[in-house]
Amino acid sequence: MLSALGNPRQAAAQIMNFGLILSTAFMMWKGLSVITDSPSPIVVVLSGSMEPAFQRGDLLLLWNRNFLEETAVGEIVVYNVQGKDIPIVHRIVRKFGTGDKAKLLTKGDNNNADDTELYAAGQDYLNRKDIIGSVVGYIPFVGYVTIMLSEHPWMKTVMLGIMGLVVVLQRE
Amino acid sequence: MYSSVVRLQNTFGFFTTVAFVVAAFVSLSDFLSPRTPTVNLLKPTSLQVVNGRPHYYSPVQQYGIIKFSLDADLSSLFTWNTKQVFVYITAEWPSLDSQNNTNQAVIWDKIITAPSSDHLAKYGPIERKKLKKAAVGKPIDPSRGKLVLKNQRYKYQITHPSGKIASQEDIVLKLHYNVQPWVGLLTWNQEQTWGKWEALKGATSKKFKLPAVKKKDEGKKTTKSNSRA
Repeated sequence: MLSALGNPRQAAAQIMNFGLILSTAFMMWKGLSVITDSPSPIVVVLSGSMEPAFQRGDLLLLWNRNFLEETAVGEIVVYNVQGKDIPIVHRIVRKFGTGDKAKLLTKGDNNNADDTELYAAGQDYLNRKDIIGSVVGYIPFVGYVTIMLSEHPWMKTVMLGIMGLVVVLQRE
Repeated sequence: MYSSVVRLQNTFGFFTTVAFVVAAFVSLSDFLSPRTPTVNLLKPTSLQVVNGRPHYYSPVQQYGIIKFSLDADLSSLFTWNTKQVFVYITAEWPSLDSQNNTNQAVIWDKIITAPSSDHLAKYGPIERKKLKKAAVGKPIDPSRGKLVLKNQRYKYQITHPSGKIASQEDIVLKLHYNVQPWVGLLTWNQEQTWGKWEALKGATSKKFKLPAVKKKDEGKKTTKSNSRA
């Protein structure tokens, strides 16, 4: 089993193999990012504010281009509040004006009040640039793994360890 | 150990492939079921504008208050892959400065769950019982898509960042929907017919004008008599 470690050529090939897998995943992510024009084209739902449409752990596919029409009321968007780096998935309920200067207000379907309280101090509305994508596709539950990993950090170490071991010890 | 790890890996890989292929077929099946949503009636029944402010220290703002009647049939949107249909009515009006600048605001919305997602929604015990009884033995309950509302009270007042909404002309009410699938693509109402999915017709009301600001005591009287439907 550990014969691979005795053979430096094979060990090097396997480390390369591991690197290749990682870089392929990274390239696919970044490629999707370019196609959708979104810094984060796939997001995992972290809160229940859009229930019953989205539960925690559901996977959302985003699209951030306006080919045919502008981002409009009724679309579910992922946005970042000014100065904070927590993406929020909510629905646009008001839009005043058009273009880059349009003022947008969002609300979670499951929340009673709109998002004015969530925005930064002095920020009453969102602009188009605060939005990192509109939800177009939905896959349930698949993203729950990432929630588990971020809530139980030891699982991350264990999983990385197992993945590394399997790749290094695997023979072609 | 070596071969059992590989076996486990292969089994998991096969499982995910099968799961994704099945999910893809389920989501594609949406395109095979016809959608024929109709709106028979959508009109405002009572309009008023009152002064108010969102917080104690905020400047005074005008709020547009709209009641409406609706008769719509969205039952064809419910298929085996429908998790919920989000129905919303917007008020839309042009901006004062330029005609192509538009304002849109949701005045009323409703989450219609499919029987398969009732357990996820925030229903009261009575409503839940009622829904359960109506949908017993039915994985799909099209009757939920039939909406008949008379003189329905708004859920959200309309405002404008300028604070002014009184006497606004050319306002229309529009009904929209968003179909949330169990897996696949989210879809909205269409302007054009696309394959088996028909365009939503009659979803826009006639143009109307909001009245001038109502005096305070008058406004109080009417808000008291309003009841939440």
